[in-house]
Amino acid sequence: MKVGLKIWRYDTSTGERALREYEIEAPEEATLLDCLDIVKDRHDGSLAYRKSCRMMICGSCGMRMDGAAVLACKTRMYDIAQEGRVPVISAMGNLPIVKDLVVDMDPFWAKFKAMWPWLEPGYERPEDGREYRISQERMNVVHKEALCINCGCCVSECNAMESDPDFLGPQALAKGMRFVGDPRDSATVERLERYSQEHGIWDCTRCYFCNERCPKGVDPRDAIAKLGAESIRLGIDRDMGAKHAKWFVRSAETTGWLREEELIPKTQGYVSAIKQLKFGASLARHGKVRPIPIPHTAKDVGEARNLRKVVREQDRQGALGHVQGERALARLEHGHTGGSLEEIYARPGAAPRPWLPEVEEDQQA
Amino acid sequence: MIAKHDVLVVGAGCAGMRAAIAAFDAGADVAMISKLHPTRSHSGAAEGGINAALGNAAEDNAEIHAYDTVKGSDYLGDQDAIEAFAEEAPGDIIQLENWGAFFSRREDGKLAQRPFGAAGSPRTVYAADITGHVLIQVLWEQVCKRDIPVYEEFFAWQLVENDGRCQGVVCWDLLHGGLKTVGGKTVVLATGGAGRQYRVTTNAYACTGDGMAMALHAGLPLKDMEFMQFHPTTLYPTGILLTEGCRGEGAYLVNKDGERFMKRYAPNALELASRDVVSRSEQTEIDEGRGIDGSVLLDMRHLGAERIIERLPGSRELSMVYAGIDPIYDPVPVRPGAHYHMGGIETDNDGATEMTGLYAAGECACVSIHGANRLGGNSLMETITFGRRAGTSAAEWALSHTTVEVPESVERDAEARLRKLLDRADGERPWKLREELGTSMLENFAVFRTEAGMTKQIEILEGLRERYPNVVVEDKGEVFNSDLTQAIELGNMLDTALCMVTAGVVRKESRGAHARPHDYPTRDDEKFLHHSITRWKDGGVELSKSEVRFTRWEPQERKY
Repeated sequence: MKVGLKIWRYDTSTGERALREYEIEAPEEATLLDCLDIVKDRHDGSLAYRKSCRMMICGSCGMRMDGAAVLACKTRMYDIAQEGRVPVISAMGNLPIVKDLVVDMDPFWAKFKAMWPWLEPGYERPEDGREYRISQERMNVVHKEALCINCGCCVSECNAMESDPDFLGPQALAKGMRFVGDPRDSATVERLERYSQEHGIWDCTRCYFCNERCPKGVDPRDAIAKLGAESIRLGIDRDMGAKHAKWFVRSAETTGWLREEELIPKTQGYVSAIKQLKFGASLARHGKVRPIPIPHTAKDVGEARNLRKVVREQDRQGALGHVQGERALARLEHGHTGGSLEEIYARPGAAPRPWLPEVEEDQQA
Repeated sequence: MIAKHDVLVVGAGCAGMRAAIAAFDAGADVAMISKLHPTRSHSGAAEGGINAALGNAAEDNAEIHAYDTVKGSDYLGDQDAIEAFAEEAPGDIIQLENWGAFFSRREDGKLAQRPFGAAGSPRTVYAADITGHVLIQVLWEQVCKRDIPVYEEFFAWQLVENDGRCQGVVCWDLLHGGLKTVGGKTVVLATGGAGRQYRVTTNAYACTGDGMAMALHAGLPLKDMEFMQFHPTTLYPTGILLTEGCRGEGAYLVNKDGERFMKRYAPNALELASRDVVSRSEQTEIDEGRGIDGSVLLDMRHLGAERIIERLPGSRELSMVYAGIDPIYDPVPVRPGAHYHMGGIETDNDGATEMTGLYAAGECACVSIHGANRLGGNSLMETITFGRRAGTSAAEWALSHTTVEVPESVERDAEARLRKLLDRADGERPWKLREELGTSMLENFAVFRTEAGMTKQIEILEGLRERYPNVVVEDKGEVFNSDLTQAIELGNMLDTALCMVTAGVVRKESRGAHARPHDYPTRDDEKFLHHSITRWKDGGVELSKSEVRFTRWEPQERKY
């Protein structure tokens, strides 16, 4: 099949960027990575990109296609070629470009290392010198986080990092959750204190682009939510973000609706709130808040309170409330759940039902 | 020379990182060199598991593990090494778990173990079907904890031999450009395999045998190079690996009629026979016209959605992305593909090579644990156990010696050779040679081998090697010049391939992965129960042999 690609080239010696167009002949099963290989081998040997496993596990080939981060090896080109589309390929975002599609991953790894990305043992070793006895259910809390291949697709798309380059970002925070949620780790409080600082958990803007773009179903935003929930459960709530979140819950639980006029004082403190009176007045002028707050309670507040009660009773305040566990990968877009074996064998065009041949003893050699 | 270390580890996959950690813990100043970031290493693509006789799922012990490995090796494995390996494996696994490895668990909270091919007991510890990924992550975490420096995206190109010992490595700095030499009192090679010699392979683009070639060019012996394992279940058409764990969980191999043909080849073990046996059976089915488009089918439908999703999610995802098939509903087309070099740089049980100060571990080394055929799950275990052993002994040697010197002439010669390659203005593009290599190796030196095919392959390789000095690197820049490194990799693959085929022709028997059904269909212990040794001499391959080390198991007929 014919495949057209427009690739943003970056020449390090001149600092020039240019969009080059290539048209190549590729086999029908070709991925974007296969197509880049064809360009490099047969058209332009100077094209630079990273690659290795070509099976979605090494995390080398993160790049952007039409502005969205993808793993080149996971992206099949057949449909795109059939539509006659010519996608634009460029380097990942939020990381400095080194050459063409290659970015400098140093800032990425610096954030990774800032998470204390190793198990802090402190716990007692099993007496028999063997493995820790932990149920699969308990490990499932961090199943998705353990799938991360550090490709950088989430970081590339992170809106919070675009405005604050020091934001720890989705991959580092997901790695943090990997240890916070691991029952063998003994440094949960120290970790959460560190992750809760400026540029940490509470600076995420919750745009969900990381969940959207992660090629492995890690769902980094969910990991950040779990870190937040664990922090509050353990009383690590000095950050304004934590106070903000707590106020939402408190407000809903007490009166059943969000009392926005109290949100700023409860989050930032009264002194800071006074400084923002002008902003408050402008909110009132536009009808966003009531000029004179009159306390009242919503009619169905009982529902909100019951919901809160259920969460408490089931002990789901922390990360455990977010568990999706071993089934996470079933989330794969194609997510089917099967059916009876008879139905599957009877599907039109199904492969024959497997059978064991009779083998004579003397034939066996 | 840009820096000096006590121990310099080349390659940062499982073996390299484990060696670096061991050397660090022994008190050495250690650094790693890797052409990829450590987590990009191909160890991470290992899926099914890692073998250690923990006995969690059924009665098991080191002796049974050792016996299975000896038998699997077709009696070509060195039995003292295998016994040490089986003995130390459980402790190494416990350590990985204690470090935080995310292994799958049993109901009782212990590590789960699944059955694997040719294993007498369910012995394979696993993490769903991403075991390699989990190991790479835990080792990388431990490397970060120790703050071991990594020369990332440094392409190791040539060993520095000075004063009769190895004292460093000349590298090309891929990211910034330029030749850079790093000195080391000892060097540990852990550069992995060279599956890219074949068009159909499970291996990453990075698996080009760089360490084997460096050792070969430094005059060191490569051992048992003719034994290339073909994995029975690689996805058609890409060659991407589907784990043996699929069959461990109960998947069937069927031909186009739905017949579970393994019954005819291995009536007891069926799909869980040894890899060489299963690959040959598949190839026979395909050759005799009972395949579909050059493949057979891996049928998982009867396992049910739940089990597939829970135990084999990665294999399902690979099948869906690369073959467009959901294994819950349809069987997946698979065929044998080049997977693993049983052979490699000859080492003793502590990873030491013939050259003082040079060690090797993992797939690039040949201890030999695997002999003529490796059992699934043993290679990850080898990287850990022998990575640790090599790292420890390299550190011990380094700590009792002081000097590192790299003669200026070494760097100057390397620079001159490199510039010659880089500055050549026209010639043939390397991909043409790479494609011819991949296609011809698959045709003439794959599952089944013939005298004529191998002789022809040697001619083809000689032809390619004649054309190789004229290849042209199109990228003339310094920054991220992967065009240059890929050209060097091609040279490494050509020379190691020549060792493989040369050793293959003279092994006139069928043993393990070296199958010659047409001229020498049986094993010949009288003439060939020895290791093949290949060395580089005067621009060609020199052959010799060495003894197999026996302890307690006499060769017997191998049946599954």
